[in-house]
Amino acid sequence: MSQSFERVLDGAIEALRTTILPHLSDSFVRGQAYGVIFALNGLKLGADWAAGPLLAQVALQDKAFAAVSHLAGGLSHPPIPALPRLAGGVTDGAALEALRDEGDRQLGALLMWASGDAASQDQAVAGEIQDTLRRFMREQMTLDIGTMAKSMFHELATGEDSPPGVSARG
Amino acid sequence: MSTMQTRQSAPLANAPATEVDDSLVRAGLGEHLSRAAGGPVAITAFDRLSPGFSWLTYSFRARYPSGETRQLILRLGPPSGLFAPYSVLPQVYALQALAGTSIPVPGLVAHAEQGDVVGFPFFVCEHVAGHVTAPWTGSSAGEEHRLRIAEQFVDILGDLHRLDWAASALAELPSPDAAEGRMELRPIAGWRRLIARPMQRYYPLLDWAGHWLSENCPKPPRLTVVHGDYRVGNFLEDEGRITAILDWELTHIGDPHEDLGWALMPTFNAGSRKLYGVMEREQVLERYARRSGIPVSTRSLAFYEAFALYQAAGIQLCGAYAFEVDRCNDMRMAAMATRMAPIIRALDRAIEAAA
Repeated sequence: MSQSFERVLDGAIEALRTTILPHLSDSFVRGQAYGVIFALNGLKLGADWAAGPLLAQVALQDKAFAAVSHLAGGLSHPPIPALPRLAGGVTDGAALEALRDEGDRQLGALLMWASGDAASQDQAVAGEIQDTLRRFMREQMTLDIGTMAKSMFHELATGEDSPPGVSARG
Repeated sequence: MSTMQTRQSAPLANAPATEVDDSLVRAGLGEHLSRAAGGPVAITAFDRLSPGFSWLTYSFRARYPSGETRQLILRLGPPSGLFAPYSVLPQVYALQALAGTSIPVPGLVAHAEQGDVVGFPFFVCEHVAGHVTAPWTGSSAGEEHRLRIAEQFVDILGDLHRLDWAASALAELPSPDAAEGRMELRPIAGWRRLIARPMQRYYPLLDWAGHWLSENCPKPPRLTVVHGDYRVGNFLEDEGRITAILDWELTHIGDPHEDLGWALMPTFNAGSRKLYGVMEREQVLERYARRSGIPVSTRSLAFYEAFALYQAAGIQLCGAYAFEVDRCNDMRMAAMATRMAPIIRALDRAIEAAA
């Protein structure tokens, strides 16, 4: 997910209020929509992204940092944080999300360095670092995919249900 | 839905979310057409069609002072669209340049780049008979029917890439000159600018992919018109015939492999690696090369298949940006942002294949 949890809830509540409710005339259906708004407002007070998937991503990033640190040896490189980054039992979703996002930025700096400056220092090592980082980043995307709902792109784009059993697979 | 004004001058920020009032649009449209016709033009049966992510589409009938009635289509670039602010010019140049050629396009009726009457940039074109196939779910038509359509689809692309654009209205598009050099790099630079906009979530692999694409872009076999969004879902078909190629807003001058790489993306072929679910890649490439006279380079095609995924990721990110930064409350934008991970993973694999 690319957005903050709170923003998703705010957007959903606002879309219900301003885009959906004005077009609903059935009083029972309107009641249902208000019920959803109420539920979302309740979630805002106590819920957050689940910690488990974020913890797994942070742990994977730590492995990537450790691998780069080992491979880089004496090369001059962008900063690598002290590991492990998570001391104690941090389970707060927002804090973990911030740590994961910061880790992404630091790993990004290392990958860009491996594609540029590092190559001028030691091309073979730079190539190995690039491959390693990309492998960890792909793994991280796989973790992300594990928390994704099934795509509803057809429904989103057309406003219609997906026709059952229709496929162009040949 | 993959539209933006031009990738050469990619917008750097979306306009604030603003609702489009259809009744005001209708009144402004009537005024605009009346002015052009020199007398009152009555607009009837004015309906907004698909709930698109970008340009809005309306169908309407116009009764002219002469008594003639025409079924027309209005396309309008809304301020809260995925790639706002919009320019209507690439589409106008394309429709003007391609009228009367073997590339079927709707006839252009009117347009305005400045939104002084209707409120937004727009163009009006003739209604063309036919229906659009949704690229994600595919067509329920039989294989033979789809094959006929796929063949036409490839032939039309070949014709487009053969076009002498320099002698047409498309010469108005940004074109190569001695100072600027490599035109084909412009779309990559445009998407990199969009993707680099600061957001809550940063994707290092996507950032690096932009760098890799810039560094490894192959030289084009020749510079041609590139449709920019040539795929299933962007043409009308009627009784086994493609009646119009639509959505010319991304038209630019560049490498013809770009259109091929985009059209062959499984996403636009209901998950199949075959074009329209029926035509093998080799058949597509062979037929295209024969029709266009352009030999297909395996390396260039692999590069542009990676670039296609980079663009796809950029489009999703634009949705996330509109929702997160511009505070647009369209929940479809929020949903788009959840699809980044599989696209980025596929992109990295595509780069590996292209390297």
